[in-house]
Amino acid sequence: MNILIETSIYSSGHKSKVFVSYSTESYMYTYAYRFCNVLEIVYQKKKPMSNSKQYTRRHFLQDIAFGGSGLIVLGTFGFRIIKDTEQNLIKAISINFEKCAGCRTCESACSAFNHPIVIDGEKVNGLGNPHYSNIRVYHFNPDVDIPVTCAICPDTPCVNACPVEPDAITGRKALFRDNNMTIKNDTERCIGCMQCAEACAELRAGIIHPNPKTNMPERMCTLCNGNPQCVANCPFDALEYIEMHADRDLADLSPVKIAERLIKELYNINV
Amino acid sequence: MFKIIAMKGYYGKLLDINLTTGEIKNTQIPEEDIKLFIGGRGLGTKILWDKLPNPGVDPLSPENALLFMPGPFSGLPIPSSSRTTVVTKSPRTSAVNPKHEHGSTVSYSNMGGFFGPEIKFAGYDGICITGKADKPVYIKIEDDNVEIIDAGKFWGMGTEEFDNALIDELGDRKFESCYIGPAGEQLIPMASILNTAARAAGRGGTGCVMGSKNLKAIAIKGTQSPVLGDHKTYLELLSKARKSFKDDHNDSLKFWRYGGTANALAYSSNNGTQAVKNYSEGTFGEVAKIATEANREKVWKRDFACFSCPLACKKSGIAKGSYSVMVHDGPEYETGTMLGANLLISDLSGLQKLIAVSDDYGIDIISVGNTIGFLMEAYEKEIIDSNYLDNIDLTWGNVDASLKLLHKICKREGIGDKACNGVKFMSNEIGHDSHKFAIHVKGHELAAWNVPVNSDRWSITYVTSNRGACHMNGGSPDKQDQSALRDSLAACNFASRWYNGEISYDKFLSAITGMDWSKGEFDKAGTRIFTLEKMFNYREGFDINDDILPPKFFENKFTVGDHKGAIVDKKEFESNLEEYYKIREWDNETSKPKNETLTYLDLEFTIV
Repeated sequence: MNILIETSIYSSGHKSKVFVSYSTESYMYTYAYRFCNVLEIVYQKKKPMSNSKQYTRRHFLQDIAFGGSGLIVLGTFGFRIIKDTEQNLIKAISINFEKCAGCRTCESACSAFNHPIVIDGEKVNGLGNPHYSNIRVYHFNPDVDIPVTCAICPDTPCVNACPVEPDAITGRKALFRDNNMTIKNDTERCIGCMQCAEACAELRAGIIHPNPKTNMPERMCTLCNGNPQCVANCPFDALEYIEMHADRDLADLSPVKIAERLIKELYNINV
Repeated sequence: MFKIIAMKGYYGKLLDINLTTGEIKNTQIPEEDIKLFIGGRGLGTKILWDKLPNPGVDPLSPENALLFMPGPFSGLPIPSSSRTTVVTKSPRTSAVNPKHEHGSTVSYSNMGGFFGPEIKFAGYDGICITGKADKPVYIKIEDDNVEIIDAGKFWGMGTEEFDNALIDELGDRKFESCYIGPAGEQLIPMASILNTAARAAGRGGTGCVMGSKNLKAIAIKGTQSPVLGDHKTYLELLSKARKSFKDDHNDSLKFWRYGGTANALAYSSNNGTQAVKNYSEGTFGEVAKIATEANREKVWKRDFACFSCPLACKKSGIAKGSYSVMVHDGPEYETGTMLGANLLISDLSGLQKLIAVSDDYGIDIISVGNTIGFLMEAYEKEIIDSNYLDNIDLTWGNVDASLKLLHKICKREGIGDKACNGVKFMSNEIGHDSHKFAIHVKGHELAAWNVPVNSDRWSITYVTSNRGACHMNGGSPDKQDQSALRDSLAACNFASRWYNGEISYDKFLSAITGMDWSKGEFDKAGTRIFTLEKMFNYREGFDINDDILPPKFFENKFTVGDHKGAIVDKKEFESNLEEYYKIREWDNETSKPKNETLTYLDLEFTIV
């Protein structure tokens, strides 16, 4: 449903009438404004009316995101992320593909934090070339942007694939789950066989890649000392650092597969 | 041997590629030039000035230089600073009284997306293409590895198909690229350069110059970052800027996300500033059918942002109806007006189809929409008939006819072979006083903002812009200089309101370069850049006789809307322009910047 509101805008000293229409569906705001050198912005805010006929797909996604007893993001894509204290939980980064606008701020933020530079003896963020980022946003045509990052999988196919014998004392292979749950690589013991990367590509999103110089695995999420910078800096709130159901479905997470599903859903085109 | 410059925030390195010889080299950019012209549009113009020491070079000859210029902000995650300016000598413009056969203005056209930042990541402050490849090629750049690769199999491909085909060929989705479509290949003068199948350096015939070099595309990725002058201060400014985009001007942020520039369709129409019916009117009665709300309801599915931008003003979706089409970015204000309101087209899917087809060919939608509008008016006035138009019944609002003509223009078929040259050429062709409603300045078609309402601003904007008519120019010297500065930094005009006070552009530039850029010095650099462009044009034979508005604006009164009766007062326009030259300290007989002015602006080298 659309409602027209008459309002006024001042332009070059003249008062002009402007009709502003707003929809009671998903977008609550409309604005009138003077272009380029913005002088004045007028906006109305109105609560959306509940009307089953206007129950859009966007509403559906909102509802599944916030409805019920737990938190579920993107149920339509088959991987359920449920907040439920009785369940076995793991805290990781959840991605809302609906909200991502593909700006790649997360890549810069990740790279800047995880590749710091030292100035006057102090470690500070680097400049954040996305090439060194652990999270990656992949652009597809028809237009969708798919961020992918290490899921800190409960069952760690990457660690399972590591052929290095566990250390007698720590029980850790070269690739191991650290105390803070992140996956780390012991560069002293790693043999650079990249079986971890193969396992990740085959069973999960294909996050792990070899460092071009050392041929050792990288891009595992570090969680940035408990404050993931990708989450903190996402302008679209597409990323969240939340507790998730440990046995959630983590198959089919490769960006290509997610893009296929999203494109089909959004644009009704099979690719 | 390439030496590392002391100048921080830059590499001092221009990737210089000659496609005739295949020579690829790194050229030193003089530190003095970086200090004076900053980057992007400014530094690009200086390099062009040096590459073309003599006026009258054919813009489509191998001698012309095509520059892809990021700015000092590029690649840094400073919100909304991802623009890439393409600088070259324009194939679109010509003087009223030509002094050189190929005399034409400078052309600068910028695009958002991810291409500019990636140039910086690859370790360059710019890419310069000269020469002409003997067969179609594309250039692949990974840091220092630069290859010129055969593009024969891609030649003829539309941008939509090519966007995917190139990624398939490269096998890496992390390459950023820009390319031309069939329009650029066919040397359509108004061809554009695109990236991500939608974001275009649309204006000024950049794609035509790229096509003349047999260059289909540039794909680039890199692993580098420059060293900053004052890294810690930069980090402080960055976190303040990010915070500001969260906390300040929230209504403005929502505005951009809600509708992007398409929001202006409705309000500009209401204000009488829209180009309607080949600029005959300023208000379009059916604007609601193509405006934001209609698109939100029927077409748009997702919002997209350029590199590190919180605004996300690009909208994609699917248009259904009589012309089903994938919408990569449409309508924006310019595209929606030039192929919509200006042609009296209000069929939303028809409009989307026209936009998508134009982007697929890679043609400047502003110029092509303006040209179709001009021919519609000539057809209505019976200066031309359908026979002349290859049996196209080119009536107002006719989507099918517009689509047919668009295809012909982009393929140079029949009437299209003439029409692709724009309205100045066409009015010379058909005569009968049609020059009066040929809406261009210096040969470059006007954009979607009509002139009569707020004519003091819009007339100055169009007649004084250095690439010929340009809507992003600004209507007064200080606004023009600020615009030149933004284009030189790589900052986006739409986000400029955030960059005030403690996070102003000059503070960022000071932190990046480690130099103390005072507000005064910074503003002066803007004037310097704008004036250098002016001198380029003056050298090419453009003077005060070229700063003119099409006669229609002095003769045609709006007949509908709140601004019914609006018209440009010629005397007022002339006195505004005189005042403009006075503030600029340009000669009021020739419009040439005075020698004292040039000396003050460190542009002595332009004094003959």
